[in-house]
Amino acid sequence: MNMLSEFLSYPFIQRALLASVMVGILCPFVGNFVVLRRMSFFSDAISHSAFAGLAAGMLLGIDLSLSSIVVAILIAFLIAFLSEKTTLSHDTIIGIAFSGAIAAGMLIIGMLKSYRADIFTFLFGDILAITTIDLFLIFVVGALTIATLLTFLKPFLQITFNRDLAYVEGINVRFFEYLLFFIIAVVVTISLKIIGIILVTSLLIVPAAAAKNLASNMKGLFNLSCLFGVISGIVGLMASVYFNTPSGPTIVLVSIGIFFLTLLKPIIRK
Amino acid sequence: MNALSVENLCVKINNIHLIENITFSIEEGSIVAIIGPNGAGKTTLVKAILGLIPSIGSISIFGIPFSGKKSHINIGYVPQRLEFDRTFPLTVSELLSFTIPPIFSFPFINKRQEKTYIYRLLETVGAQDLADRSIGSLSGGELQRVMIAKAIVNEPKILFLDEPASGVDIEGQERFYDLIMRLNKEKGLTVILISHDLNIVFRFADNVLCINRKLICSGKPAEMLTDEVIKSVYGEMMGAYIHSCHEHD
Repeated sequence: MNMLSEFLSYPFIQRALLASVMVGILCPFVGNFVVLRRMSFFSDAISHSAFAGLAAGMLLGIDLSLSSIVVAILIAFLIAFLSEKTTLSHDTIIGIAFSGAIAAGMLIIGMLKSYRADIFTFLFGDILAITTIDLFLIFVVGALTIATLLTFLKPFLQITFNRDLAYVEGINVRFFEYLLFFIIAVVVTISLKIIGIILVTSLLIVPAAAAKNLASNMKGLFNLSCLFGVISGIVGLMASVYFNTPSGPTIVLVSIGIFFLTLLKPIIRK
Repeated sequence: MNALSVENLCVKINNIHLIENITFSIEEGSIVAIIGPNGAGKTTLVKAILGLIPSIGSISIFGIPFSGKKSHINIGYVPQRLEFDRTFPLTVSELLSFTIPPIFSFPFINKRQEKTYIYRLLETVGAQDLADRSIGSLSGGELQRVMIAKAIVNEPKILFLDEPASGVDIEGQERFYDLIMRLNKEKGLTVILISHDLNIVFRFADNVLCINRKLICSGKPAEMLTDEVIKSVYGEMMGAYIHSCHEHD
């Protein structure tokens, strides 16, 4: 008990806990749409686009969060635009964007004159390095994102269920799809410092996939995915401090543990 | 009044004409069947009218030009094959609540009101017991009834049905078409129906449009569906066989 209170008395731990709770709610909330629409590869491409954004930010000497968010949004819209205007399949376009972003990022990093250690914070995530400004940003963007998704939950779900029916029912499908791509890009980029580019997609899809294994309705899906996200964040953070392991991978492994537990549902039912 | 007027409608994809200069009009409150062989462009025609695929030509619904964007009146649509993820954890009630009129879906409105609205809607299509069932667990017939409920949730004036009873057993088909007739009679709903079943067309449709990329004929089923026309639409192997029993009241 003393250890826990001592643990919680550190300001960097308090910030990390608050950030993991917010990201634990935000990522699975958005992740439900990613899983239901089978867009995991898209979110992976977006996180890797953020890498190109980081590299561009380093080269131009601008704020890295800003540069990564702008590039991620641009690439998300480019994927949506090309999917609309060409006959190529969605995953082919994503594959091109994905590899293009990585190649561009590596090329730009090669052009940097000095070694930048902070790129590893974004590549692998470091929740304990979260600053008060980062936390503020996560809460503001997170609250706005959740408010937007809740306001337009019905059209988003209608499009997710069947695009043609949603269109005939008078929903502006194109607008809401671009809005969803924008939201995914924003959520992925603000979570980078916590989970890292390589693993951020896991926090989007794993709690949502685990919840899908158990839920029998949409309300259950959203509630369970956020619950699993928060549990993964808190337990993963505490375990990473206790065992002195990297926080991002520990959080992701906890969420994967929960996912495997949910697979036991049919066995328990028998 | 014409519920739907289509003039010189063309659909061209990769330089291939899927639909060529189709012109027709449909009277308000009528049931019109679109028939034609596989690949004739029946689904393409309906999708073009609804704005789901690009087309050239003019379409007006209840006299007002319709460009495929939000219509001035509500339109109902039941697609041929509803493509959705069967593992989608979505109940029938939740699916219908997506489309429910805003007054009932506003967050602060009593949820009981929404529930009652959905129950009455499901009762209309004889699916009141399905409210809490998962969409993925429904049989073909049950899903069709739910999709009809979804299509009429906003009290549309015009309903498009693309082979709505395919894959449904005979009893299910009977119930389905009786329901469509009832909605047509009670609510004055205009129904545009794609069907391969000429028996259904004879029994339920007021008018028929025969298409094979072009409009081949249009008029009353008994006048239009002659042996000669059927052979020209479907080929030499087909002919008209009209059931003398099961006359619809």
